[in-house]
Amino acid sequence: MAEPVTATRDAPLISVSRASTLANRTGSWKYIMPTYRDGVAPCNARCPTGVDVEGYMELLRQDRVDEAVDLLLRENPMPAVTGRVCHHPCEAACNRGHFDEAVAVHLVERELGDRALAEPPPLPATRREGRVAVVGSGPAGLACAYHLTLLGYTVTVLEAEAEAGGMLRQGIPSYRLPRTVLDRQLAWYRAMGIEIRCGERIDAAAADSLLAEYDAVFLAPGAHRGRPLGAAGEVGPGVVPGLEFLRAVNAGARPDIGRHVAIVGGGNTAMDCARTAQRLGARATVIYRRTREDMPAIASEIAEAEAEGVVFEFLANPRAFHRAHDRLIAVECDRMAQGEPDASGRRRAVVAEHGAFSMYVDTLLTAIGEDAVLDCLPSAVPVTNGTIPADELGATPATGTWAGGDAAGVERTVADALGSGKAAAMDIDRALRARRGVDVVLDAPSLRWAGGAMSMSRWRGDDPVQRTAPANDVVAFDALNPVHFTHLPRHREHPDAGQHGGAAPDGSNGGSGGYGFAEVNPGLASAEALAEARRCFNCGVCNACELCLMFCPDAAIARTADGRFSIDLDHCKGCGVCARECPRGAIVMTREGL
Amino acid sequence: MRKVIVGNHAVSLGVKLARCEVISAYPITPQTQVVEMLSEMCASGELPARFIKVESEHSAMAACVGASAAGARTFTASSSHGLAYMHEMLHWAAGGRLPVVMANVNRAMGPGWNIWMDQNDSLSQRDTGWIQLYCETNQEVLDTTIQAFRLAEAVDLPVMVLLDAFYLSHTSEPVDVPPQALVDEFLPRRRARHRLDPKEPHAYGALVRPDDYMEMRRDQQHAMERVHAVLAEADADWARLTDRTWPAAEAYRTDDAELVLVTSGTITSTARHVIDARRADGERIGLVKVRLFRPFPSALLRRLLAGVPRVAVLDRNISPGHGGIFAEELRSALYDLPPDDRPALYGYVLGLGGRDVTPDVIGGVIDGTRTAAAPEREDLWVGVKP
Repeated sequence: MAEPVTATRDAPLISVSRASTLANRTGSWKYIMPTYRDGVAPCNARCPTGVDVEGYMELLRQDRVDEAVDLLLRENPMPAVTGRVCHHPCEAACNRGHFDEAVAVHLVERELGDRALAEPPPLPATRREGRVAVVGSGPAGLACAYHLTLLGYTVTVLEAEAEAGGMLRQGIPSYRLPRTVLDRQLAWYRAMGIEIRCGERIDAAAADSLLAEYDAVFLAPGAHRGRPLGAAGEVGPGVVPGLEFLRAVNAGARPDIGRHVAIVGGGNTAMDCARTAQRLGARATVIYRRTREDMPAIASEIAEAEAEGVVFEFLANPRAFHRAHDRLIAVECDRMAQGEPDASGRRRAVVAEHGAFSMYVDTLLTAIGEDAVLDCLPSAVPVTNGTIPADELGATPATGTWAGGDAAGVERTVADALGSGKAAAMDIDRALRARRGVDVVLDAPSLRWAGGAMSMSRWRGDDPVQRTAPANDVVAFDALNPVHFTHLPRHREHPDAGQHGGAAPDGSNGGSGGYGFAEVNPGLASAEALAEARRCFNCGVCNACELCLMFCPDAAIARTADGRFSIDLDHCKGCGVCARECPRGAIVMTREGL
Repeated sequence: MRKVIVGNHAVSLGVKLARCEVISAYPITPQTQVVEMLSEMCASGELPARFIKVESEHSAMAACVGASAAGARTFTASSSHGLAYMHEMLHWAAGGRLPVVMANVNRAMGPGWNIWMDQNDSLSQRDTGWIQLYCETNQEVLDTTIQAFRLAEAVDLPVMVLLDAFYLSHTSEPVDVPPQALVDEFLPRRRARHRLDPKEPHAYGALVRPDDYMEMRRDQQHAMERVHAVLAEADADWARLTDRTWPAAEAYRTDDAELVLVTSGTITSTARHVIDARRADGERIGLVKVRLFRPFPSALLRRLLAGVPRVAVLDRNISPGHGGIFAEELRSALYDLPPDDRPALYGYVLGLGGRDVTPDVIGGVIDGTRTAAAPEREDLWVGVKP
């Protein structure tokens, strides 16, 4: 082809500036500027134990699994336990639930907890002067002992029963919490140097001498006495407090409860009783005076009970018992109706005019709540409304005495008990250091995750997760930019991997339907659990995704040597694109600093 | 290979054969099929180009400006309001001397809202500095799309390829699709004379003071003037390779004509039929089709029309307050002719907003022009309800 006319063309005349545009201080135009300000993820804010869920999820995203375990163990003394039995309010709060499905935090926690138990326990970095006695080896007592030990104190736990664990051992069936996990957890505490003495029942006199012998006493005796129904003929053969039944079965006994068993109540104890009764070969019917929606039990527990064949009789309440030849044969129930809402917001159950009925039962288990038995208190500690009066840090009116868990009026969950033990450990630490002239201020609001539970890392002041301060606002879903997230299904446990049909480790039979005492929920395979962690949005916390840097139209954002970001305020025009694009709401536009 | 394809897909195939490297576009009726097919080609890997999705035509052209400044062969497509929305960035492409190629499907401007054929969208962009080529057939659309890249890159100016809404965009015609090797011979890889380079940062489109600005504009005008020679050369090469030629303005049966129609776009094809029929009846009537509107081929048109007694310009557009735009341009081009050679020019405005321009309509224009004593002071509106 001939040389085109254009081959000799000159370069077109265009305007090009070779001077740097940095000379234009466009930053002077702004009236509002972006600031990196980490917030608090709702999971952290809602965890009664005060776990840094978002923090360990981020470490897992970076494949820093060991550090994730360490971060979890700073706040939660028993993730292998809570990963199995906690009602995980973190998941109810998870912002991802507004996007597709909440992150399966409990399954990730369980994986990390199991990893923790396979390793030696954490040990205190320093030792501090002070000996503390803990009364009760349930989750509250163990949490207090664990945290105080890590803070450097010498702790002795006193347990009335022959084996430690409190409600974890007495109340929770092994199909939810295998005893191997609990036993390993306790051995782990002992390896930390915590002395756990079983068979030591404390009365008032013994409690007074503890106060004299130790620098501080933490009371966590729990709530173990089942409440009576208040129905005619309740005292007699065949009517058994549910907790007593659970305690016996959990200790290895297999009481004869007959074929037809009714359980009265709608909480977790009722679910545990019903599912345990099924495992002993009975047909369990739960009698509850309100409706399914009113049940305080964990939803998954109700669903699993139903799947295992437990029958529910809602809006019913026992009013009389019939026996023959000294055996219970039937329970007579009122039909209930829904009345006006009560203080809890649920509609009061009132006796309906019609519909009373009777049902044959061989055994009736009561599970309408438990009261604390408070005969272990030092004489200076008062009792108010059946509980030990304690402030938000567990301090009682009696000097040197703290309390936590069910007996101290704390919300009756394992997670809340763990949180109460931790809060008390912080205040005991403060008090014991103050006694030695080290005046430390414990500002509870600043130690709480945005008004939630206390953070031990914040109290210790050595949080390995560096967040920008002030960081104490919960980040709601509408503060996120979900455009940058992709839908990913939540990992689910594979039922086949469970041991539904399996026999208990002691070789006892499964119950009707083939359900045994071996663990029902199999958890996730290790790789799946770590993959689930990657579904976390890291709400409110910068994880250096660099979208701000990429979107900044003025190229005014740069990475700093420490891996964070700097904003060139001479050239940031304050457009807000970075704050708008940030997937996790970790940048705010503010007039501060201008 | 001959294919029966709509005009929109003729554009897409042309862009693919031109080995375009960056495409950024926003959909709009009746253009959408153009970029739809291109996006599929990009997605499948058939066309190894980067397709940049954007939220508006303004951003589409901004993306093209950036890509072209970086040295990439760049394409977009639009229509009507989409083109209007690009207006500011059209200046950036032309003033920046960036050889972006765009297909614009001619569609009426609203309001009243109208998706049909009308040239006012592209003619409203007359002074942005874009070369404009108006097509008559789907074959011309495909060939022009390929030629446009060579033309644009030779003179460092952006090119707009225009095709009639629906008459071409959505009408299937047999089109000869040239083999890739032929197109590769015709169109070498782009050699940008300026090119953004991250290793040597500098800013394009920087401030220019009054003492330099005019020189830039004169350079742009000189480039426009070179278009006539470059396009003729490119079309000659194309003719050698394909046996098809698309002159900037084409005379059809104008020998000894007493009356010559001047048309653009698909009206041309209709007019060819009318002229053939009239010639068969012994009437001395011919046609000049204007393909290149910017730069306006004034010299060529003077040559084709000198000495013709009467010229009737059919404008599918209107410059409100003046008249048909092709007529207006042609009047000033013909003014340079000596008075004896200068035709009497009759302007007609017709077919706006997709109104049909049938053989009868064109016949009426012919008859009206032949019987008129002298041109009216203003262009006549054809087929308008009283």
